[in-house]
Amino acid sequence: MADAVKEMEKREAEAPAGGTERTRAARVFNATVDIIEKNDHIVVIADMPGVDENSVDVTVEKNVLSIYGRVEAGVPEGSKPVYSEYSLGDYQRDFTLADEVDREKIKATVKNGVLRLILPKAESARTRRIEVKAE
Amino acid sequence: MTLRDLTPWRQGRRRAYSSPFNALRDEMNSLFEDFFRNFDLEPFAERSRMFTPLVDVSESEKEITVSAELPGLEEKDIDISITKDALTVKGEKKDEREEKNGGRYHAERFYGAFARTIPLPAEIDRDAVKATYEKGVLTIRLPKTAAIEKESKKVKVLTG
Repeated sequence: MADAVKEMEKREAEAPAGGTERTRAARVFNATVDIIEKNDHIVVIADMPGVDENSVDVTVEKNVLSIYGRVEAGVPEGSKPVYSEYSLGDYQRDFTLADEVDREKIKATVKNGVLRLILPKAESARTRRIEVKAE
Repeated sequence: MTLRDLTPWRQGRRRAYSSPFNALRDEMNSLFEDFFRNFDLEPFAERSRMFTPLVDVSESEKEITVSAELPGLEEKDIDISITKDALTVKGEKKDEREEKNGGRYHAERFYGAFARTIPLPAEIDRDAVKATYEKGVLTIRLPKTAAIEKESKKVKVLTG
């Protein structure tokens, strides 16, 4: 059982590059993601329990897509933690986008703590099927 | 016969061709090891496909709050039951199969069934338990029974 719990543990995100400091006193974790590539789009699904549509930021800068989710929940007032497995903290993850992704058409939705990004591929990057005709 | 011969762990390289008793002992050891290795793993092989949600438990004078991180479920997929001194959360996180079909795939998230039993530190009022599922976090509030609240009494320390 101990192994199973270990596996689920959140991995803390690395400090931002360039020696900068974070401006929030919360811990930051790497969101776990699934990435599915389809013919005309890429789907990114990220687990971010505790995050809703108002507390998630999706930004694209140059060729880096960043997701950042803020978690506001904490221990209820008047209570003290007696047992803790998951640490509270924000979520972050950066992705390098390939040129084929159409940056203008990226869509993001959040439901039940799961962020879903749809990254459509540019028209020119889609796989085309060329019909072969017999002579 | 020297002392060295009586301490099997010191026989070192001689062991392989020494007495048949040593060979038997080694055989038995490996049999036991194999048996327990199998015993430990086989019945629980299924477990590798399960996941264990992480839980936090906090307590105040009036209630116990259990929260679990369960991103991507629906309220109806979560099953909560309470016995006298334990809380069990069960459910299944469904895999989005239809999206998986066709296309390259990179997976880190967990899918599958899960069950988690959490022992409760004090007697609780089972009828007044409330559970909410919001933003992928399940929060269960378990009020303590009135009797327990009264029971916790301060004890005065007297001098000699």
